[in-house]
Amino acid sequence: MLEIDGLRKRYGDLVALDGAGFTVRPGEMFGFVGANGAGKTTTMRIVMGVLEADGGAVRWQGEPVGFATRRRFGYMPEERGLYAKMRVAEQIEYFGRLAGMSPAEARSSADELIERLTLTERRDDEVAGLSLGNQQRVQLAVALVHRPELLVLDEPFSGLDPIAVDALAGVLAERTAAGVPVVFSSHQLDLVERLCDSIGIIKAGRMVAGGTVAELRARESRKLLHIVVTGAAPGWTDRLPGEIVSKTDRPPAGESAETARYDEVVLVPSDDQEALRVAGQAGQVQHFGWQRPSLTEIFREVVA
Amino acid sequence: MNAILLIARREIGVRGRTKGFRYGMLVTVALVVVLAALPKILGGGDDYTVGLAGQRADRLQAALAAQDAQADDLTVKVKKYAGTAAARKAVAAGEVEAAIVDDTTVISKTTVGSGLSVLLDTAHRIAATEANLAAAGLDPAKVAQAQQVAPLTEQALEGSGEQAAIRQGIALVIVVVLFMLLIQICTWVAMGVVEEKGSRIVEILLTSVRPWQLLAGKIIGLGVLGLSQLIAIAVTGLVAAQVSGSIPELPDGTYALMARVVLWFVLGYAFYGAMFAAIASLVSRQEDVSGVLTPATMTMMVGYLVGFLAVREPDGALAHVLSIVPPFSAMVMPVRSAVSDVPLWETGLAIGLMVLAAAGILALGGTVYRRAVLRTGARVRWREVLRAAS
Ligand SMILES: Nc1ncnc2c1ncn2[C@@H]1O[C@H](COP(=O)(O)OP(=O)(O)O)[C@@H](O)[C@H]1O
Ligand SMILES: [Mg+2]
Repeated sequence: MLEIDGLRKRYGDLVALDGAGFTVRPGEMFGFVGANGAGKTTTMRIVMGVLEADGGAVRWQGEPVGFATRRRFGYMPEERGLYAKMRVAEQIEYFGRLAGMSPAEARSSADELIERLTLTERRDDEVAGLSLGNQQRVQLAVALVHRPELLVLDEPFSGLDPIAVDALAGVLAERTAAGVPVVFSSHQLDLVERLCDSIGIIKAGRMVAGGTVAELRARESRKLLHIVVTGAAPGWTDRLPGEIVSKTDRPPAGESAETARYDEVVLVPSDDQEALRVAGQAGQVQHFGWQRPSLTEIFREVVA
Repeated sequence: MNAILLIARREIGVRGRTKGFRYGMLVTVALVVVLAALPKILGGGDDYTVGLAGQRADRLQAALAAQDAQADDLTVKVKKYAGTAAARKAVAAGEVEAAIVDDTTVISKTTVGSGLSVLLDTAHRIAATEANLAAAGLDPAKVAQAQQVAPLTEQALEGSGEQAAIRQGIALVIVVVLFMLLIQICTWVAMGVVEEKGSRIVEILLTSVRPWQLLAGKIIGLGVLGLSQLIAIAVTGLVAAQVSGSIPELPDGTYALMARVVLWFVLGYAFYGAMFAAIASLVSRQEDVSGVLTPATMTMMVGYLVGFLAVREPDGALAHVLSIVPPFSAMVMPVRSAVSDVPLWETGLAIGLMVLAAAGILALGGTVYRRAVLRTGARVRWREVLRAAS
């Protein structure tokens, strides 16, 4: 279990971290979310010992994290770093050896990852000649080669095409299945929602929300009503009680509207029963129900 | 320890397989061979072909062969001709450089070179003396025996002029090679440090290894490459000089001198390597490297220039002082030891001071490196990394 507790960090006058902290349990995929400059990278660099905190603690299995412990962590920094002139397999092996693996272990682990990340045809190419997506795969392999007990990945999915995202996500899922906790930061909230068991949202150096996606949803203060009405006269939505979040009069692609008019509204109702009456009077109600907020909506509300 | 070896091996492997390194090594070795053989090539060598015609041709030939046998760097080939006309034709055709005809006359295209002239003259004197003595009734065999005189042995109070010139030549090569190698490898160290810092590979590396291990591995690995180049140059140079005959006999103590050069290289590299690494760790971009390194490069240049001067004036005041003061001693002292007899205490003092300086700069450089290498963004200032608080 990784416990990050009350981290503080200032850069001169700028407070980058103001008590940030969260806990990641064994086998958990933890999404670390926040706007640019919120303090994600600073937190991860402190966990990896690349940066020293002004205050707070990082504990692994209950013990303060030191150099010997960090050797068993896998890390993918935000600014990617590989030796441009080294070949793919050679490079992955090298980092395995540095982390203390025997030559045979490092080789077999590197071979496995190369296969798993579909780099087989590139194994003897210099890294400098690889596409960005492939470089990122090598970077992930470097973070994974020594079979770490914890993975700390700073924006591992940024700049990847969907196929590469799936390959990477698949490898990470294997590791969490084996009990390894994974922390990764990301801007792609749909991805975080899809992959993560737990999420932490950071804003200006402080945690503003945390928990499983379900817990976050339950905590979402605004309840959203999703209403679809056909055949209504224009202007009926003005009579809906509450605040309209979004509104469209175009049916979803592929569905042709048989009636003259189609209205889809997302509403924060002040009175839900009144809203149902208004909709029923206006036309045929095709859909009327509570909408589960997406992570993007939760994020917008929490961070706003 | 294991980590240092791994890092050193990577440096050797990656740097050693670059085209730059391989071709550089080939070109250097080829250059050294040419340089070492150059005096012999330019000197044209003492190889002569001489024509003989006349009654004493046999005796002249024997006298020439005796001179050939006595000198290492002299070869005389003899061709005999039936008569003056044939010999004259051979000279004109360039078959022989000169010919002695009628036992009295030397024929040549233009004037005879002084070396050949002495050679022919000596042979002529020997043959003529033999003939005269035989005519006076002495036993030709005894006369021939009496002519066998061992050449003078040389004993110069201040070393032979030739030896001094050879020593100066060697010293010159030493200072040029030391400077070139040091600046090349130290630049590699600096570029390697910035490569890792700029690309942020250090962030990954330093979760597995300590900063001092990373630095030590890099310095040792590139140092091994430099040392192997130095040894390759020394061995090819000495072998080529001897095989080609440029330096038929190495001056006394050449091997001891080579050992000292290696020692000075190691000390100089420990000093400058750590210095270059520490300075390079202040910046994050390759294009900023040469700028911050300027003071360090200048220091090296001073040592080089004074070392250059010391080839001719090993005991001038400046050379004398800088041969003891680190880090200049790394390039000045080997030159002085090559061309003059440096008192043992001076050598000892210079080595002792340089060891201290190198140890100090390694410790300081290691600290600067450790504090600066993970800093991102703008150039790190000296004040920040040297502040007492660790
Ligand atoms: N080396 C630094 N010097 C000064 N300010 C920094 C430095 N690194 C980060 N910051 C600032 O700290 C804050 C947090 O940055 P960061 O942790 O990189 O955020 P995130 O990764 O969430 O985008 C930002 O305001 C950023 O500008
Ligand atoms: Mg970041």
